Amino acid sequence: MRTSLSLVLTFALPLILLVATGLGKNSAALGGTEFRISLALTVGLVSIGTVGYSLAIARDRDTGVFQRLRVTPAPTWTIMVSRWIVQLGAVLVMAIVVLVVAALFVGVTLPPQDYLFTVLVALLGSAVFLSIGQAIVGLIASADTLNAAGRLLYVPLIGLSLFGDTDRLGTTVELVSRWSPGGCLETLLSAAMGATPWSGQLWGALFASFGYTVVFAVIGIRWFRWVSH
Amino acid sequence: MIPALRVSGLRVAYGSIVAVDSIDLEVREGEIYGLLGPNGAGKTSALSAIEGLLRPAAGDIVIGDVDARAHPLQAKAQLGVQLQTTSFHSSLTLVEIVRLYAGLYGVTLTSAQIRELLGQINLQKEASKRFRELSGGQQQRFSLLIATIHDPALVLLDEPTAGLDPQARRQLWDRIERFRKEGRSILLTTHSMEEAQAVCDRVAIMDHGKILTVGTPAALIAAHRDDPQVRQAAHGPVTLEDVFIALTGRELRD
Ligand SMILES: Nc1ncnc2c1ncn2[C@@H]1O[C@H](COP(=O)(O)OP(=O)(O)O)[C@@H](O)[C@H]1O
Ligand SMILES: [Mg+2]
Repeated sequence: MRTSLSLVLTFALPLILLVATGLGKNSAALGGTEFRISLALTVGLVSIGTVGYSLAIARDRDTGVFQRLRVTPAPTWTIMVSRWIVQLGAVLVMAIVVLVVAALFVGVTLPPQDYLFTVLVALLGSAVFLSIGQAIVGLIASADTLNAAGRLLYVPLIGLSLFGDTDRLGTTVELVSRWSPGGCLETLLSAAMGATPWSGQLWGALFASFGYTVVFAVIGIRWFRWVSH
Repeated sequence: MIPALRVSGLRVAYGSIVAVDSIDLEVREGEIYGLLGPNGAGKTSALSAIEGLLRPAAGDIVIGDVDARAHPLQAKAQLGVQLQTTSFHSSLTLVEIVRLYAGLYGVTLTSAQIRELLGQINLQKEASKRFRELSGGQQQRFSLLIATIHDPALVLLDEPTAGLDPQARRQLWDRIERFRKEGRSILLTTHSMEEAQAVCDRVAIMDHGKILTVGTPAALIAAHRDDPQVRQAAHGPVTLEDVFIALTGRELRD
């Protein structure tokens, strides 16, 4: 039940956003079509990498799935790495679905190399959001807490990134928004799709993304416990 | 003949709580060994240390001829484990779980062999169900199948019959007997004296992290028959439970 719900959220939410942001007169105020695609991809990444991942890990830790794996002769690190690979695979599928829908129904087609860049940036973004997910399960032991509050993560991770290109809420908000994990990802995605030229800000976004990944991964691995109590 | 398991001076602590306080135990080859104790006695902690799930504060653990602390992966490969609470990936079917765990233990099974194994524990119709969709008894049989998928010489079972109905319990006892006939050694924990008497060759009574006494059920009864506390606990002929209550006290444990 829960599995299928998160599956729907994972694939339907980005697509709904992609289509819905194109409806209505004010859609242009949010940004162009590339912005809509990058928003959809960011939502998909947060959903798979942060929310979906941390809920799945917390649940499996609670029910003893990990302890059962840990008594097999498989080296412990393979247990985590196999989970990351599964999430990366899901991100890949999600990104391809979003780009195909964008091409077929939103009318955005990219030159072939931009598709490649976009998918590569999506995978880089997975590292950022997976490490955030890892930090969350490292710091929060209880699956119940995560179940209740996990979806609130969308607010800082996506909500913040929405204001990166507008100073309507003030320059501080814009700055925070632009340099938030979601903001960096959208900067990189829109460049990958050829909407913005390569610039110093892109290097900044790239470095910030690496920095977020390292910091959150270290927190998430250092404080991770295999049992919840 | 080397013992299936030799534990000496094992100590497990969680911060300042000492859960296992320097215990020694030896499971002989082909033996069913019962670790008895009230809740919180330290049974699961002792097994967890043997299984490599936690690092003991002190002690030696030798499984067959493998030093488990020096060679944990090699030790795990020889060990069959059923944890007190266990679960498997919620997205996988029983067949997929069997294939996964067979792979982790380096065993290759054909689809026909997997069906055959599920058939032996009466789960052929459940082959494409998920673990959580099974009844308690079915889950128990399935996790025991996973525990022995690699034909281990030593099997550790943590409260294997907790929550089972009498039919399922009897069936499990038969399986455990069959394991022994196949040449395996078994270390199990329980708080059922009936179970200890029915299946265990030897039992150790444990409380507050220490092993209080070890022997065959009959020998323990004979040795403690005349203790004043045992006499006081007994209603009629002295049972293993009377010995247990006399040694571990009457107050309730959580
Ligand atoms: N992860 C843990 N952290 C802190 N204390 C624990 C932990 N696990 C068990 N304990 C404590 O260690 C003692 C032994 O517990 P346990 O080994 O589970 O006993 P048993 O299996 O015999 O019921 C108990 O006092 C229990 O509260
Ligand atoms: Mg226990």
